[in-house]
Amino acid sequence: MTFRTKLLVITSLSAAGAVALATGAVAVSTRRAFERIDQARREALLDQFRRELDARGEELSRRVDQVASSAAIEQIISGTAEYDRAQAEARAQSLDFLDVVRSDLTIVSSAHWPAKFGYKNDWKISPEDWRPEDWRETRFFLARIPTPEGNAVALVAVRVAAGGEALVAGGRKLNPELLKSLGIAPGMRALLWLAPDDLIDAQGAVSHAEKLAPLIAQVKKSGLRSTATVQWSTGRSGAEAFLAIPLLERNQLMGVLLAGTSLEEQFRLETAILWIGILVGGSGVVIGILLGWWTTERVTRPVERLAAGARAVAAGDWSARVEVLSHDEIGELAQAFNQMTGHLVEQRDRAIQAERVAAWRELARRLAHELKNPLFPLQITIENLQRARERSAAEFDEVFREGTTTLLAELSNLKTIVGRFSDFAKMPPPEFERVDANDIVRNVMKLYDARLHAEGRPQISLELELAEGELPLAADGDQLRRALGNLVLNAMDAMPDGGTLRIATGKIDNGVRISIADTGQGLTPEECERLFTPYYTTKHYGTGLGLAIVQSVVSDHHGKISVVSAPGHGSTFMIELPPQQGENI
Amino acid sequence: MKRIPSLWIAAASALIALGTVDAARRPRYGGELRVEMRAALRTLDPSVNDTDAAQLVPAVFETLVRFDEKGDPQPGLAISWSHDAARKRWVFAARPNIILHNGAPWSPHGGVIEVPDDQPLPKILQEMARSSNAIVVHGEDGSLIGTGPFRISHWEAEKSATLAAYDGYWAGRPFLDAIEIRMGRSLRDQELDLESGKTDVAEILVTDARRLRQKGVRVSSTPLIETLALVFENPAVPETTREALALSIDRATINNVLLQKQGEPSAALLPHWLSGYSFLFPASRNIARSKQLAAGSPTLAFAYDRQDPILTAIGERIAVNASEAGITLRSAAGTIDVRLVRLPIVSRDPWTALEDLAGRLKFPLPVSDLFEAEKALLSGYRVIPLVHLPEMWAVSGVVRNWPRLADVWLDPLGSKERP
Repeated sequence: MTFRTKLLVITSLSAAGAVALATGAVAVSTRRAFERIDQARREALLDQFRRELDARGEELSRRVDQVASSAAIEQIISGTAEYDRAQAEARAQSLDFLDVVRSDLTIVSSAHWPAKFGYKNDWKISPEDWRPEDWRETRFFLARIPTPEGNAVALVAVRVAAGGEALVAGGRKLNPELLKSLGIAPGMRALLWLAPDDLIDAQGAVSHAEKLAPLIAQVKKSGLRSTATVQWSTGRSGAEAFLAIPLLERNQLMGVLLAGTSLEEQFRLETAILWIGILVGGSGVVIGILLGWWTTERVTRPVERLAAGARAVAAGDWSARVEVLSHDEIGELAQAFNQMTGHLVEQRDRAIQAERVAAWRELARRLAHELKNPLFPLQITIENLQRARERSAAEFDEVFREGTTTLLAELSNLKTIVGRFSDFAKMPPPEFERVDANDIVRNVMKLYDARLHAEGRPQISLELELAEGELPLAADGDQLRRALGNLVLNAMDAMPDGGTLRIATGKIDNGVRISIADTGQGLTPEECERLFTPYYTTKHYGTGLGLAIVQSVVSDHHGKISVVSAPGHGSTFMIELPPQQGENI
Repeated sequence: MKRIPSLWIAAASALIALGTVDAARRPRYGGELRVEMRAALRTLDPSVNDTDAAQLVPAVFETLVRFDEKGDPQPGLAISWSHDAARKRWVFAARPNIILHNGAPWSPHGGVIEVPDDQPLPKILQEMARSSNAIVVHGEDGSLIGTGPFRISHWEAEKSATLAAYDGYWAGRPFLDAIEIRMGRSLRDQELDLESGKTDVAEILVTDARRLRQKGVRVSSTPLIETLALVFENPAVPETTREALALSIDRATINNVLLQKQGEPSAALLPHWLSGYSFLFPASRNIARSKQLAAGSPTLAFAYDRQDPILTAIGERIAVNASEAGITLRSAAGTIDVRLVRLPIVSRDPWTALEDLAGRLKFPLPVSDLFEAEKALLSGYRVIPLVHLPEMWAVSGVVRNWPRLADVWLDPLGSKERP
């Protein structure tokens, strides 16, 4: 990823991130505001429920009073009325439940369960639960009333009747009408769970009541308020938050009021905020991209120029310079780059100069060393001839013959040395032609076969491992043979006590490989490193030009040479040459 | 709710007191009796054996033999019966000079009716006395023609009918000119019609009798001709549970409070007036023993006709009694464990009545004496009798000799009485 791209991404992400953070903060703040409002509305609903319950309790008390004071109670207690007479009284006062009981709580007539006459009333209205005088007051309470269909929770009022002989206990169910009368705020609703297992709202029985079961169970278990969110349908708009409030009567749970708030409105607002955030964030990203592009243009263009300059320097153009367009950090960087390349050129020139001087010194040292050896016998021979001339003629003749022979031999040596230097200096450019690497190797081995098997020479066995078929190359055959010959001679010199010379050819991906290995004493890593330096040699004699010539030839053929060696394990020289290049031949 | 047909005759005999009062006045001919009923009859054909229709069948169609109020067989359309020469058949001699409602003579082949001698004579006579075996001639137009004191002059199935007096009746023309019948009338409508003078006879529940009497309405009642009982339909219910349920029921309270003492609590199938031994079957409650037996009892699926207010009231009370003992009775449809039913006493002959009850209960009736047979039926608590009930009507002041239709006459002086 380019610096420009990174800069653009960072700018865009920063803009989008800032908007996202702002959106999140607003959303959280909105949610908390909703929760506060919701809490207040729930509390208001609870107050309203209590007030409605009180009002209904007052109304119930009044109706039970009327029943208690009616003549029918006297008839019921005296047994002159039908056993189900309470039904008519309950209907007249719109009571859902009515028991007329004797003072011992035996039911004389029951409206909601006529068959229960003669049994004890079990609405918790016994003296153990209440003082008798309580019934003379306007009191009402929640009670669980047994019916043929099961228990029902009702608001109950009890009055003394028939001169104290009877109690009249009347009740009204907590029904949807109660919830309907609450005047609930939009988006809210009230549900009522009544023991043992009825769940109603203002419209009647609630479907999917099982979804509220865990919340109700929690309230039943703890007897404390509890909250939960119920998912009625998929999506957040189908969620409803509930506050469950226990309805207790003398520490007995009679029911649970559930104040539900639809999260749909909150979800809509949060969705709107989210969309606004997305729009603003998107705009921020676009603006960020534009600003980033403009900024990166100003920042990266000089950097790109610097990069181009660096690449030019890497390619060898040490004279590369970068235009300084500004006076900021980028400008300073460009100036520093220019100074660096200037210093590099100066140092390179100085290094070349020093290298030339060193090369000349090395050449002079090598020449002096090479020439000094034959010059000394020449000097001795000439001095012998001079001394012999002063002696007898016969002795002179003999010395003259020996001396001239020596002189000629040493002059020949000098000629050879001079020839080598001359050859290295006059290395001509290669004349490429199509050659077969295997043929080249075979020719070289023919040239050096006699030397290998010269009498008195330690035994060196030759192993040729040539690739099958032709190994075509575009090469100067004479130069290649000369280079390979040098390597063969070096190998032979490296095995003064005999050994094995292994020459192999083979195809590689990038052309042809020729390897020449010996089993001689090997080379140290330092020797390997300096091996191809001109005039460097590990031998007691030699000019140090052999491997330099080899490297020069290989380089002129666009190939490369390497050596693998270790002391005591011989050396292997590998030449890799590119394949035949028809157009270059 | 089913009516009990053949007891109209028996019921009439029970109204001796009322009849005595009526006899103080001289019966008179004429007038039309207006009767309302809850049943909506499709036909009066006796062979259909509709218990609701059987109330009217004896007024139109007659049997060869009938039983009197003492339960003794009396000649009907047959004047005598005897063996044939080979003693293999019973020969019923037809009453002579019987003219059918269409004017044709009724003349069985040879003037006799032969019946195989494959049962004891009392059984044969009981069969001959059944309403379903009444003599019926089917007219070419599909009409039903009988020999009784009334003939069908108008029939609109399920709605109304008119029975006109048959002048050619062999025992003499009935007092009434006609009986106008309105069918499918609710009890409430019948009571209102009686109060407003639109009907002379209205069916009532026994639980309404006291209230109506307090209002001054004349109430006519039969003897105890019906047994309310619990019948176990699921044989898998353990006997201990059945006994526990039987012992949990407070029959006295049911009769005293729910039925306002109009019935007779009993643990016997046959009422005491019919068998004379019903007190031998203990009907008292034993809640302690019931609780012991009820331990581990399953919940029982309990059913009764919820359109019947008496069965509903008693059923609810039984559920409360059972609950006290620890037995749960659950109202249910589908497979029923125990059902509260009305069992009619169809004959004044106790054997016939018990045999009919056994047939209705689908219990085999052992050949034994009457007490042992009833005891065998009640063993194992497969059926738990609760109470015996009469049938009751509210009648207007002009009606005399109700419910024996052939003897009913209308007293104009009675119109001043409150209905």
